[in-house]
Amino acid sequence: MSSLATAPATKKEARPRRSQLPYAMLAILAVVVVGVLLAQISPQLSTMWIFGLAFGFVLQRSRFCFTASLRDPVLTGSTSLTKAVIIAFAVASVGFAAIQYNAFLAGAKTIPGHISPAGWHTAIGATLFGIGMVIAGGCASGTLMRMGEGFVMQWIAIIGFIIGSLWGIHDYGWWKATFMDKSPTVFLPQVLGWPLAFFGQLALLGALYLLAEWYGQRSKI
Amino acid sequence: MPEEENFVHRLYNSVLKEPWPYWVGAVLLGLLNISLFAFKGNPWGITTTFAYWGAWIFQALGGDVSQWTFFQNAKNAKALTAGWLHDGGTMQDLGIIVGAFLATLLASQFRIKKIKAAKQVVAALVGGILMGYGARIALGCNIGAFFSAVPSMSLHGWIYTIFIFVGAYIGSKILVRYLL
Amino acid sequence: MAEVRLDCYGEACPIPLLKAEKKMKELKTGDVLIVETDHSCAIKNVPEWARKKGYLVDIEETGEGTWDIRIEKTA
Repeated sequence: MSSLATAPATKKEARPRRSQLPYAMLAILAVVVVGVLLAQISPQLSTMWIFGLAFGFVLQRSRFCFTASLRDPVLTGSTSLTKAVIIAFAVASVGFAAIQYNAFLAGAKTIPGHISPAGWHTAIGATLFGIGMVIAGGCASGTLMRMGEGFVMQWIAIIGFIIGSLWGIHDYGWWKATFMDKSPTVFLPQVLGWPLAFFGQLALLGALYLLAEWYGQRSKI
Repeated sequence: MPEEENFVHRLYNSVLKEPWPYWVGAVLLGLLNISLFAFKGNPWGITTTFAYWGAWIFQALGGDVSQWTFFQNAKNAKALTAGWLHDGGTMQDLGIIVGAFLATLLASQFRIKKIKAAKQVVAALVGGILMGYGARIALGCNIGAFFSAVPSMSLHGWIYTIFIFVGAYIGSKILVRYLL
Repeated sequence: MAEVRLDCYGEACPIPLLKAEKKMKELKTGDVLIVETDHSCAIKNVPEWARKKGYLVDIEETGEGTWDIRIEKTA
């Protein structure tokens, strides 16, 4: 069996490597300047800028892709990102529950978090979103990340994204009246109690992780 | 001196050059979302900002969104009048783009990837519109109604999970048929 | 042993992987497929697929943001 090392040497000429670190330094400077300027308007703006930078940096460095986590099991048989997304959900679940439970104990009128009506609008919207993200080559976070990476395709996708969003808020009234206002908003701990909801969710995530692990091991293609 | 150089080089490689393992990204994203939630009182979201951007552009072109149901909501109305320079979501979303850009520069891996075929333009636009519309009616994208909704223990997040998976399946079929 | 280059520059995710899978079917044992890509995700998902199939994989950075993924079809 031949080894890769003795393969015929028909390589392309290796291009001289140019470091982009000088540009990186300029970019860091610009980032800091923007942060300081934003802080003049309000410190919260500056903090949101920093959070954004952190998210973008982490997404790119780990090549994290939510789209791939949902697409690859079916398309390529890979579940490595699926498992990673489950881990991210589990980590966030713990911290979120702590914040929510604290608010609950403090007698807050509304539990903090993204808790919205669940109904046909959710199902249809999510399906449309799923189709769109695979076709466009990236979801919401993926589109922003790839814009930063230099993909012209995502600079075009964002235009579509904004148009679709505007169209969506234009039609929002209809969807709200037809579905959202008639759909239940379910905060699981209110229905199942805190222990069952929280531990049940972690258990379900764990089971999904094992499922993804098993599925990924099967030789798919 | 070679010892130190080697160490710095290896440190640079693992932190700034080689891709991180997916699980590292996963944990960090989870922690970042928790921190953001703690800071602003509600978790990570991306696409409401896109709706605002659309509205501001529409207004700049002479349109009027003030009567739309979406802007009868106090928070949305307030954001609309305050403008993009006061919108945290705008700064966050722009930050994501710049953060990713910075990451590629630090690794000397930045490169402009130009469009190769007309079908890519169509796919990007159509896909973008589908995502924009879908996110509005589902009340969130893969972040707001998925990554932030499931950990919020909201039923709508789990419904979203099922159907975004369905959508991805359909999208994959379309991808292979028309875009491969 | 043939060496086949597959130009995937400018392709969106996950096209490089799908093209590589398709091309690999045409290759014989011992052939080497070189996927030329500028997609940062491809340098993770293509090697992952190749290793799962038992192929030998080597990644080489050929420039700023470009890579050659050398895959030898072992069986």
